[in-house]
Amino acid sequence: MRNKRAVPNTIAVLVSLVVIFPVYWMFATALKQPGKILSATPEFIPWPISLDNFHTALTHGSFLHYVRNSLLVSVSTVLIALVVALGASIALARFRFLGRRAFLIGLVLVQMVPGSAMVIPLYLMLRSVGAIDFVPGLIITYMTFVLPFTIWTLRGFVHGIPLELEEAAMVDGCGRFGAFWHIQLPLLAPGIVATSIFAFISAWDDYLFAYVFLKSQSNYTLPVWLVSFQTSDGIDNGATIAASAIFSLPVLVVFLLVQRRLVGGMTSGAVKG
Amino acid sequence: MTSLTQAPETGTAAPTPPRSDETVRTNRLARFTPYGLVGPALLAFAVVLGYPMVRLVWLSVQDFGPRSLFTGEAPFVGLGNFTRVLGDSDFWAVLLRTLIVSVACVAALMVIGFLLASLLRQVSSWARVMLSVCLVLVWAMPMVSASMIWRWLFEPQYGVLNWVLTQLKVFGDFSAHDWFGSPGQALFLIIALIVWKGLPFVALTLYAAMGQIPDDLYEAAGLDGAGRWSMARHVTLPILGPVLAVLVLLEVIWSVNSFTPFWVLTQGGPDGGTTTLGVYSYLEAFTRNDYGGGAAIAIITVILLAALAVLYVRRLFAQGEVTG
Repeated sequence: MRNKRAVPNTIAVLVSLVVIFPVYWMFATALKQPGKILSATPEFIPWPISLDNFHTALTHGSFLHYVRNSLLVSVSTVLIALVVALGASIALARFRFLGRRAFLIGLVLVQMVPGSAMVIPLYLMLRSVGAIDFVPGLIITYMTFVLPFTIWTLRGFVHGIPLELEEAAMVDGCGRFGAFWHIQLPLLAPGIVATSIFAFISAWDDYLFAYVFLKSQSNYTLPVWLVSFQTSDGIDNGATIAASAIFSLPVLVVFLLVQRRLVGGMTSGAVKG
Repeated sequence: MTSLTQAPETGTAAPTPPRSDETVRTNRLARFTPYGLVGPALLAFAVVLGYPMVRLVWLSVQDFGPRSLFTGEAPFVGLGNFTRVLGDSDFWAVLLRTLIVSVACVAALMVIGFLLASLLRQVSSWARVMLSVCLVLVWAMPMVSASMIWRWLFEPQYGVLNWVLTQLKVFGDFSAHDWFGSPGQALFLIIALIVWKGLPFVALTLYAAMGQIPDDLYEAAGLDGAGRWSMARHVTLPILGPVLAVLVLLEVIWSVNSFTPFWVLTQGGPDGGTTTLGVYSYLEAFTRNDYGGGAAIAIITVILLAALAVLYVRRLFAQGEVTG
């Protein structure tokens, strides 16, 4: 057994190293002393560790401003999308009604429309109401991809909750709303958390809409700020990469946590047990 | 059609409660419940998707230039934008380039993804955890950061991968090699980036799908003298067929829709040599200020993708992933 797995295991180690290298290199570069970044022979281990690059990145423009803009837009988008999506996802998973199939098909198709196509009419639409270079205006544009995604994913989670549980609650005298409040919602909570985090990340990551709609520097979101390092004259590679690391780190951590949660079956044991 | 399918109120499995006035009222109310629940979403869709899409179509038949931005008026030109776009040789070069990028991305994703998934099935659990954590981290990397890192990895003077390639002494000397100076090489790097970012999704999906294949099939094939290769060829691939089909459709659509890596790395240059459909419509609208032309290009893209999207929806419903 040992021998049989030795070869695949070795390959797996090598593949892991290759696959993760760019992520490693991002952190390694960011943690180097600024003077050591540009070396003809790359130093693979950042030693001694230095936070100078992070310092340079954080003092470029008004970083806290951009964090606030990014958070404002992403959090509002997710909250609005959740409120709107929860009802729709329950309707799609639990009821059969005229137009349901069409709605589902539309939901899938809409997610296939490229952002670069939507950006043109959205630009003119927001322009006509004077919402260009207006940070909350971005929320509308993020709804175009966050809302369909949220409804679709939540629908799957609602579908995954065994109907028997609600039936049992209603047999025991719960009303439909009571069954929803006491049974469905608590079971749905992990799904809601996972969906919101994915939705949050997709809004957090957006570059195209933020780039097109935000003009003045104080209105930038983090992705626009990140790319602005590159175009401003005299590229400081250390600061740019440190900025990328700052932007990515929360996403990487959260994603790892959520991924586990999604894998564990949430209600599979509830009915059998 | 307005009835509760899985809803328990009138369910036969549960003992029927005595029919009081209240239940009659709830039943009548229940008929409208789904519409009440879907209503807000429909309204939101009308504003954020419906209106912009109608506007996009309308734009594509207008001569909407910089002046129209201020006057709000744009002359109707029928299919003028479309004939102009289709008559431009640039468009066909862009279309061809988009197809090449898309085919290259999807082919690489499928082949490498399949190999990685098979690898994940064969290794010990510690190696499996290690490799999947690496894959999940790559999956989570924001595309903007990934694009910035890519540029740094291949930086002409100090890019670490240029150094590695030079040390390998197989491909020649890459010190001071400017990848972004030539369209072909820049495209190659962009494709590599899209493949790297897309690989985790494909590999982990295929890995999960492979877990559904019963071991008996492999045992039976083994008894019949099948080797590893013919097992993959005659057992794994046919069973994974539907999953592979869905992945191919999604990845084609996603690679055509990809914008950020192109824009951050090359902005479509040098000399428009890395412009694909998404970048092309963007440039037409926002750089050349021809919003009508940009809209026409966007609509052509959507029409090209529509066929794939329809296939995808049919697959989705056919596989029972969605109960229609």
